[in-house]
Amino acid sequence: MEIEKSLPYGEGGAEAILNVQSNTSISIAYHQLFGPHDDLMLLELDEKLLPDILNQRVTLRGQPDEDAVLCTQSKTYAIKFVGTSNSVFLIPPSNLSIALGASPNSSEKDHDNAVVASVIKVVPGSMELVEVAPRLDKLKLLLSENPYSFDEVSQMNIELTHKNKGLYSWSDLVEKVQASDEELCTGLRALAAVEIDGYWRSLDENFVDEILNMLLHNAVLNDWLLSALNEDEVLPVLEADGFPREIVRHCLGVYGSKVVDETRGGCTWRLEERPVGVHFARVILRGKKMNLERFMEEWRKKVPEGMNGSFDVLEGEVLTEKIGIETRIYAFSVSSLPSVPAERFSKLFQEKPKWEWKELQPFVRDLKVPGLSSEGLLLKYTRRSQPSADAEPIFSAR
Amino acid sequence: MYATSFPAKANSHFPAITLGPILEIQVKCSCGEEKCPEWAILELQGVVEAQPSFKDRLQNLRIGTLCRLTSQENYTFTVGYHELTGTKVPLKKPMLVLKKIKLSTEEEKGDINSTKVELDVIGVIRQRILFKTRPKALISKPQSIEKEKVSADVSN
Repeated sequence: MEIEKSLPYGEGGAEAILNVQSNTSISIAYHQLFGPHDDLMLLELDEKLLPDILNQRVTLRGQPDEDAVLCTQSKTYAIKFVGTSNSVFLIPPSNLSIALGASPNSSEKDHDNAVVASVIKVVPGSMELVEVAPRLDKLKLLLSENPYSFDEVSQMNIELTHKNKGLYSWSDLVEKVQASDEELCTGLRALAAVEIDGYWRSLDENFVDEILNMLLHNAVLNDWLLSALNEDEVLPVLEADGFPREIVRHCLGVYGSKVVDETRGGCTWRLEERPVGVHFARVILRGKKMNLERFMEEWRKKVPEGMNGSFDVLEGEVLTEKIGIETRIYAFSVSSLPSVPAERFSKLFQEKPKWEWKELQPFVRDLKVPGLSSEGLLLKYTRRSQPSADAEPIFSAR
Repeated sequence: MYATSFPAKANSHFPAITLGPILEIQVKCSCGEEKCPEWAILELQGVVEAQPSFKDRLQNLRIGTLCRLTSQENYTFTVGYHELTGTKVPLKKPMLVLKKIKLSTEEEKGDINSTKVELDVIGVIRQRILFKTRPKALISKPQSIEKEKVSADVSN
């Protein structure tokens, strides 16, 4: 009791409430600064996120017209405000009262001279976090505004190019795209973007086509192995044809993979069948539907020798349709589809009302919803039907 | 001096929050992981209402008395002639107290876009004292209870 009496008014605070001894009481009062205090907010979060927050690795991101998200280094969270009809009295610790601007010498005293804890505000609710997928569709959109093309390389007109719109630095992207730093990096890699003069760019498809054709052409001329392209040989040759070293090296990374070759110095790359095949298919099918056999013929001509031109590599990049006896093929890339599941399925069923699992799988396997399995996704967004027990299941819109 | 009223409303969910003209807000913590001070919450159903004459100047006004009963975490909260009983419960997830701080840039031109905002973590809440029950009147008139009983008996 003596301790309580020795404390002047206003020094009880949250500590007093959290440590009330048995069979004692404290006074609860409105703080001398009691008010709406809209600048004070409560955020509920998982214990595991506390270190991230307390070590200042967290930011809120969002444009004025977007709902804000909270980003840690690796994850993105939507912020929901949950209101309450209860009266929630918020009581700061005593030493913080002064930090909030209260004068320590309050003239009023509790009539019993008991410890007082003061309520700074009545809280209308709190913010909660819900893990969400990063909003990378916008990244795709931003980078498609001004792809890096051969014209830009050949003009070398810095003034003109830099005045162009649609150039985004890393910090521009962080501001505009609601994703954590790690998710943004992954997104840029998925779009095969490259940083040029401080701006993240996607490469123009025609430009890439020229680079790949030139690479394959020179491989034949110089007897290069497509499974072992030595950077030190390749880069100078293509540079002589007007293709910047950095861009060619970037393309080797996108369309190939590094191989460890101890017999030769420098970096060695192996061209990969899938990205190369997909690139040529896209170029052939640009904006049109084609007879499947004619396409295969043309495509196999383009795909370099040594790659067997298996149709499987085009999974998730093309669709076929039967019209009478003819099968036609057209470009339909999973990368052009929305990353929000509801929008993705809506687009898919708009394209084609009925899907077999084998067809559908490449177009949905990249969807990741925190807390939902891929079976759960299908249950939520599709209707599954099976005409007979041994038939393939068919998926349609719900 | 006070009365408590108890609307039977469920929690309402508001969809989202926007940042206004600000694009990115850094969440800071000036207190550090070890020293983040703990704040307290008293939560009760309904609304505590001051008498109309005090409504606009609540500052420093006494609300009531919080009393811990036994060695367990049981409490009473006496507001006017109402007594609430409740318990201290740990929160399932901790809550942070954030304070929005506007940092004006050095040359203030009244440009909204130049105002930087930071959120400072100034406290953490790990438990609350929750009063779930309706209040018990401390001053009761035995006769009126008697009457109610009688009328209830009659209706049966």
